[in-house]
Amino acid sequence: MLKKILFKNSSNFQFAFATAGALIGLIALLLSFQLILDVRSFHSSEEELFGPNSVVIQKKVTKMTTIGMNNTEFTPEDIEALREKEFITDVAPFQSADFKVGISEVEGDGLPHFYADMFFQAIPDRFMDIDVDWSWNEESEFIPIVLPRDFIMIINYGFAQSQGINQISEELLMAARLTIHINGNGKDQKMIGRVVGFSQKISSILVPESFLEYANPIYGNGNIINPSRVFITTTDDSYGELEDLMEEMNLDISKSAIDVAKIKTIITVVIGIFGVASLLIMLLSLMGFVQYSQLVLSKASYEIKTLLRIGYSIKSIVHTFILQLAIIFGLITVGSIVIMLLVKILMVNVWLKDNGIHIEGSSIFLTITVALICFVAFIVANYLNVKKTIFNLGKN
Amino acid sequence: MLKRVQHDTFVTNKHFNSSTFQLINHLKKTFGRLFAFTPIKNFMTLEFKSVLPFPLREYPHVNESVWKRDFLLEFPSKILLNASSGKGKSTFVNIVYGVRSDYDGSVFINQRDISKLTLHEWIDLRRTSLSVIFQDLQLFGELTLWENLILKNQLTNHKALTEIEDMLTLLGIGDRKSQICKTLSLGQQQRVAIIRSLLQPFDLLLMDEPFSHLDEENAKIALALITAETEKNKAGFILTSLGSRHGATYDKELKL
Repeated sequence: MLKKILFKNSSNFQFAFATAGALIGLIALLLSFQLILDVRSFHSSEEELFGPNSVVIQKKVTKMTTIGMNNTEFTPEDIEALREKEFITDVAPFQSADFKVGISEVEGDGLPHFYADMFFQAIPDRFMDIDVDWSWNEESEFIPIVLPRDFIMIINYGFAQSQGINQISEELLMAARLTIHINGNGKDQKMIGRVVGFSQKISSILVPESFLEYANPIYGNGNIINPSRVFITTTDDSYGELEDLMEEMNLDISKSAIDVAKIKTIITVVIGIFGVASLLIMLLSLMGFVQYSQLVLSKASYEIKTLLRIGYSIKSIVHTFILQLAIIFGLITVGSIVIMLLVKILMVNVWLKDNGIHIEGSSIFLTITVALICFVAFIVANYLNVKKTIFNLGKN
Repeated sequence: MLKRVQHDTFVTNKHFNSSTFQLINHLKKTFGRLFAFTPIKNFMTLEFKSVLPFPLREYPHVNESVWKRDFLLEFPSKILLNASSGKGKSTFVNIVYGVRSDYDGSVFINQRDISKLTLHEWIDLRRTSLSVIFQDLQLFGELTLWENLILKNQLTNHKALTEIEDMLTLLGIGDRKSQICKTLSLGQQQRVAIIRSLLQPFDLLLMDEPFSHLDEENAKIALALITAETEKNKAGFILTSLGSRHGATYDKELKL
């Protein structure tokens, strides 16, 4: 009955506008927030292999390098300088095999006969975010190997044709075993290896660190060399800092590796701007709703005064009023979450799929939390306003 | 020596006690208004001290008028306030009910200056001790007759629904329960307002020309009901009238 008295004069037109404003504002806010989360959770297939935001850096080879005036090694001081950069969260120098390596086919596994000289390098296991078992010990059946994707390209489209041998698919190469020829420190050894993945980012042949730790003392020639490549992990949106670092240390970074970082940074900034705009819309619609409740209150001022005169407490009137607004805004909040999800699933995701971008859906939990925060902010703002207005009505 | 020490201690203690007491009293005064408030229970006295409403400043007032005079009313008692139109009957009721404060002088309820009461205290007072029938009734025109009464009774839980129905029947509007209030005649609305004022406990009932739209017969029935309820509450009332005594006797008569 209290509700009937308080809202009897409320204008449907005003109410529709306030509701539409709040709905649009909240949808825009939630959508941009959800998109920012999605972009942040974006992984290229490369990143799935090595974890997000990781790049290999090396020093540029110049004329001076070739004639021996400088070298491309990272000294311990260089490594330390990298560690001190705030946007770099992890630094790992490549470990190199200190012995000669060659590979050939294992007869009967379907590969054509070949032999190639090679090298092995290793990075710490924590960078290898790979599905198969990457660990190695002396009892292991084979040595897992990650090849650069370009390697198979060179074999299939260059080498195979000129030598008249069959082309091999990635699947076949991964299914077949390889014979590893190790030679160093006056010893020869044959072992079995298997390709477990391909990498776009790292133009190196990677084996588990544990294998090099085992093999280097046995077959190594005892040369201690500084690493010439370093694996680093950067924080999100550090594209600008990375470019500065390249200039500063005369570094060479695979262009494709930083493209992802660059795109992510740009998209985050663009959506961020959209997010700020949405926040402003949201605040505006919040004000619209406060305005609406103000209007309802002033239209019901006689009723409120009379209620206070026949003994109704301010609290009970405020509660009735706020409960009603809470129901309305609760529906708006739920509605905007639903619409946001529909837009994301039916429009954004379809568009991304059509454009060949695969984004793993990030959790909507955070977005719902944001919606709830908006809800609470709305209730608090209206509560304070309504309470003050009713108190003033009672005093007059 | 020993005696002396004891004596000193005693004095110090006493001193401490009295200053603590003062401090607590001071805090009570300061914070009492902000936080807790002690509701006025049992409306016993109403005191006017040279009260003069701003709009009546220019008018001459007879000696026995309530304006610009000091007087004390004690309850329970039945008081008639008789005056012709325009002398400030409604102003008197509204001042005592706390909805007007445009006057010189002071009004005290149970020795408390009513201009110092907070809104919360007023609301509490109006729910538990002070009831009113406004001249303009102040009903909710959009609600039905019954809803108007229930709105009040669900706040106080003072009467059973059958009691309310009996009162309606007694005043002859029992068949109008579900009619929208603003479509009732003024006389019917007046009876609704009378019943509403009785749906709460009270020590004082203020009535501002409550029978102005009723015939003498109905006014008598209504006054009998009001008197019965007032006595049941061990309460008093102040009835303003344009001259009619409605065939009843009063403990005291006031003039404006």
